Amino acid sequence: MVGKGLEAPGPDWWLWPIVAFSVATVYAILISQFRRRDIAILKCVSWSNPDVMLLLIGEVVVVSISAFLVVFQLTVEVLGVTQYFVGTTSTPLVTWLTNYITISAGPMFITLFLIVVLQIPGLILAQFRANHIPPMMAIREE
Amino acid sequence: MANPIIQVQGVNKEYGRGKKTVAALKDINIEIMPGEFVAVVGPSGCGKSTLLHVMAGLEAPTSGRILLDGVDVTLISERDMPKVRAQKIGFVFQAFLLIEDLTAFENIEAVLWPSLELKKEKEEAMALEVLREVDMLERKDHFPRQMSGGEQQRVAIARALVNNPPILFCDEPTGNLDSKTGETVMKIIASLNKDRKMTVVLVTHNEELVKYAKRILRMKDGAIVGESKSRQE
Repeated sequence: MVGKGLEAPGPDWWLWPIVAFSVATVYAILISQFRRRDIAILKCVSWSNPDVMLLLIGEVVVVSISAFLVVFQLTVEVLGVTQYFVGTTSTPLVTWLTNYITISAGPMFITLFLIVVLQIPGLILAQFRANHIPPMMAIREE
Repeated sequence: MANPIIQVQGVNKEYGRGKKTVAALKDINIEIMPGEFVAVVGPSGCGKSTLLHVMAGLEAPTSGRILLDGVDVTLISERDMPKVRAQKIGFVFQAFLLIEDLTAFENIEAVLWPSLELKKEKEEAMALEVLREVDMLERKDHFPRQMSGGEQQRVAIARALVNNPPILFCDEPTGNLDSKTGETVMKIIASLNKDRKMTVVLVTHNEELVKYAKRILRMKDGAIVGESKSRQE
């Protein structure tokens, strides 16, 4: 399912959006937790809550797209290596990898879109936490 | 005659609730004129840092009014306060408060990022200009962990200047520095008061630093107990 994305959804297809949603939400919470000091400092130097929200959105979107591109690049590399051996070494592993990784562009980009959309609830939660960080926190925690 | 740039009127600040309240500030009244260099001195725990935080709008007073350049910051919502901070206030902290993952240049530029009307080139030029002013241009690509305490404080001063605010609040700016480095930092702050005509409010427990100020306010137990002019005047 992970390799094939939405192209060949199995009976357990619903599990993967839940996992993606959970990972995205935990990640957003971790950002707002570990960036508490930075957010408080930025508020001290005149950042508003909407400015902080843009920062969080930017970080989450950049990380999501970067992760997607890294996986895409790895897939291309693995596919290239397996294709090199196809015909010369027809082992079950090569055949399985070829079938597993080959995926058309449409489902791949829909998967990326869903990953980004699934970040939204986590981002709302992260923003809620960030809104409640007072600028004084930066001074008190030093 | 010019109007005061900072007016503190009957300000009280209490921490805690019910019977367990601690009065950190008691009926503080101060007027500071544009271009003044005021030092607030007193022993640890006397409320001088609280006074600075309240004046800068970082904390709300329990009662009383604070006017910065005619704007009553006690009436301003948390949503609008960032605009006031950006336009009127620069803050230098004892612990520098630089973002560890950003370089000196980025720490300064970050102040300008929310100003969407500024072009990137203009932001960079403004950040470089203030770095030059505190003699830190050569260290612009260094991260805070790669700089000494004095260098970090100079970057923090540059950050406070980049918006060109009329008021500079300094909370024990030499507290984490050795005496020689502290002297260098204080000379920079004094030059900002002299050359840029910035209003400087310095909070310190170090009596040696009051020589830079033109006016000295003494605090004890949350109240102003004395006021004097600097001997250098």
